[in-house]
Amino acid sequence: MTTRFVKTQKEMEGRYEDVWALVDESDETTSWKPDADLSLVGQPAPRQDGAARAAGRVRFTVDVKLAGMLHAAVLRSPAAHGTVRSLDLAAALATPGVRGVIGPESELSLTTRAPLLQAEPAYAGAAIAVVAADTLEAALAGVAALALDLEVLPHLVDMQEGLNEQRFTTDPTDEARGDAEAALAAAAVTIEFALDTPAHVQTPLEPHAAVASWDGDELTAWVSTLGMFAAREELAKAFGLRKDAVRVRTEFVGGGFGAKQGAGFEALAAAELARITGRPVRLVNDRHAEQLDGGRRAATRQTVRLGADRDGTLTAIDADAVVAQGQGGWVMPVLIPAQTLYRCANVRALTFPVKTNLRAQNAFRAPGVMEGTAAFEQAIDELALALNMDPLELRRLNHADVDQVSGLPYSSKQLLACYDRAAELAGWATRDELRKPQPDGLLRGMGCATQIWWGGGGPPSHATVRLDADGNATVITGIQDIGTGTLTSAQIVAAEELGLPLSQVRVVGGDTGPNVYGPVSGGSQTTPSVMPAVRSAAAKVRKTLLQLAGDVFEIAVEDLDLRDGRIRSSDGAIDAEVTEVTGKLGDATIDGSGSRGPNPDGFVVHTFGCQIAQVAVDVGLGEVRVERIVAVHDVGRIVNPLTASSQVEGGVLQGMAFALSEEFIVDPTTGVPVNAHLDDYKIPTIADMPEIIIDYPHVPDANLPTTGTKGLGEPPIIPTAAAIANAFAHATDRRAAALPLTRARVLETLA
Amino acid sequence: MEITLEVNGRTYSIAPAGRRLLAVLRDDLELLGTKLACGEGACGACGVLLDGRPVNACLLFAEAAEGHEIVTIEGLSTGRAAAVQAAFVAEDALQCGFCTPGQVVSATVLLERTPHPTREEIHETMAGNLCRCGAYPKIERAILRAAGEA
Repeated sequence: MTTRFVKTQKEMEGRYEDVWALVDESDETTSWKPDADLSLVGQPAPRQDGAARAAGRVRFTVDVKLAGMLHAAVLRSPAAHGTVRSLDLAAALATPGVRGVIGPESELSLTTRAPLLQAEPAYAGAAIAVVAADTLEAALAGVAALALDLEVLPHLVDMQEGLNEQRFTTDPTDEARGDAEAALAAAAVTIEFALDTPAHVQTPLEPHAAVASWDGDELTAWVSTLGMFAAREELAKAFGLRKDAVRVRTEFVGGGFGAKQGAGFEALAAAELARITGRPVRLVNDRHAEQLDGGRRAATRQTVRLGADRDGTLTAIDADAVVAQGQGGWVMPVLIPAQTLYRCANVRALTFPVKTNLRAQNAFRAPGVMEGTAAFEQAIDELALALNMDPLELRRLNHADVDQVSGLPYSSKQLLACYDRAAELAGWATRDELRKPQPDGLLRGMGCATQIWWGGGGPPSHATVRLDADGNATVITGIQDIGTGTLTSAQIVAAEELGLPLSQVRVVGGDTGPNVYGPVSGGSQTTPSVMPAVRSAAAKVRKTLLQLAGDVFEIAVEDLDLRDGRIRSSDGAIDAEVTEVTGKLGDATIDGSGSRGPNPDGFVVHTFGCQIAQVAVDVGLGEVRVERIVAVHDVGRIVNPLTASSQVEGGVLQGMAFALSEEFIVDPTTGVPVNAHLDDYKIPTIADMPEIIIDYPHVPDANLPTTGTKGLGEPPIIPTAAAIANAFAHATDRRAAALPLTRARVLETLA
Repeated sequence: MEITLEVNGRTYSIAPAGRRLLAVLRDDLELLGTKLACGEGACGACGVLLDGRPVNACLLFAEAAEGHEIVTIEGLSTGRAAAVQAAFVAEDALQCGFCTPGQVVSATVLLERTPHPTREEIHETMAGNLCRCGAYPKIERAILRAAGEA
């Protein structure tokens, strides 16, 4: 076994960093050919834990109960900005049942995330103090006993005001290639389009949650997180512990959509209070806290100016975005669609990250790119209108054959096939028929939008496969399955490589204890990162098993094959159950470990897609009904079409709600969000769903290691809102200046 | 003061202390399948049956449940409920699974009342059960499948 370090680049939501990847060069797996004869990969399979989920038997972080466990309640700022005049920690501690209290002035044992608690809270919902007590009721009584006296300070929540006052979280960025200004001036046709996009709250139904328990200097934390290894790292650093002294458990996560990163405030505060009180501590957001402080996609104000030749060739893109960052966070790549979606030599992209009195924005499924696409792809439609061209034809004409920023080729790009298939499925060619008067009096229209995202994954990612005497394999991974079905995809890939039926392969994850690293569930990188590692580990077990079979049957290994749970010789003389070999293992096991190799140099790895929306508009009520979404995404090889289509449906529905109903509203007078609850923050219901038609080009990415798969978490949410807004414009000949297309906004737009 | 609750065919004596039924189910009876997601009666994740009717356990005071027959997801494992659960798995009508117990409760009641529901009837009945992952297309298909129509 030859283990080497390879220097490569790791990508996460468009940010690249150089990393050393541990690669096992004895790994002999080669990529499955596009026409490979695979028996399980590509076939629909129900989730390995589906029955337990449907019966309510799976345990989420909020379900963890430990002996002697305390419940924590958080005092949060009622104001958008203030300074704590007084806080009665002693009174809280004297409350019956209260065991521990921490406030902004408390001396804490943790060393990072300083300050954990805010003496000058800068947004409504900011944590000021935490109380741990025998019951949640006692903890809430303790919070009341704190008797917060907060001096309210001036706030700023309006992004235009922030821009005018030049209040930024980081310096504005100005990225350019060519000369967009000159190209715009010289262009035969120009358009300008401006759009405000709303703040959009992830709203996982299981809120942020953590339970922390110390045993001496060892910490176990159950965390509802998308990255349990990141949580382990964060906790180890914060408390000055060795990594192996921290165990994070995240078997089931009740949704995250980007919001639950690392240990989070919840695990850090719970671990601190557990250390102080000597008891396990549970900290779970209530719904109001989750909506206020769980995170959100930042609101933006975008302007796009486009220039083109008469024939439709794009010659200039000039885009700017004001992003309401809240208190900070990384600046989402809002203008990536403007910079990369189409071939264009002259591009300028200006981003203004404005500091406002809201929580720092954080990742929400396709952060930046989704809201950027909502504006840019509407601008492209405006250009098509100005050119009197078919919008899909304009997109085909300006297809980017290579990455527009680096000039490098794509590892694989099937966008043109996506356009063709989506157009066929949606009936694009006859879309103008929809604009004829309808018997039901509704206005109908059809619109399209293009999707671009990363999603190639990469190292580091590891897996271990262990085969026992009964012929059953356990795949040990570092994945937290957040509902995407990744564990089941790993089961399929392992079973395929091992030649075993799915029933003989079980995948475990959700625990850093075995120290088998898996990446964060984000950025559409889990499947493409993990599957090659799983396949590589399984291939080693397969190889060993065949060697042992050669010993048992006294035949050369080369003459043996393993498929459908049976070992067969090429001459047909041997046709045996796997257990005829594994049965001789006794209590020993056959183990194999695999790692994810690097992506090839010289390529840019992206996912692509096209969605087409059909809408019906009631001009009297201002109601927009999405009747159908056709979604065709190029994500390489599909491992499990059943769970893949679930991902697409979920992304489409979240994108649809961003277009029609979801908007996190902040009262400008008080700076306090007014709809931080589930009854007034309108996520879609089953009655709102359109027909969703899904397909893929089904072309594996031949340049990606061993499985040819790309990620599918982000892609389906990206183009939906733009496609709906374009369909609305097709139906009504009007374009709203802001999303979502609520009834009030639609009536205003049509007036 | 103690009250008597009948849950999944068993009788329990509990001290409600002003709490909601959901808190008693989860904290005292350790029936953890029923979920708290909003606490406002807006999402249906806490759905249980009270004399066969679906109710939001996050709103109902435990005391109000005395004298009524309560069934939680843990008590739904046979007959129509089992068919619903099997259909949810087969159609992948769940993603993270957090809302699923509530969905199964509502879907079971729907099929008991309307063995062959139309799509519109499914939408009307199930609209009170939110699923943030967006499993709705497959929840609809699973219900039709459990009804023997898909």
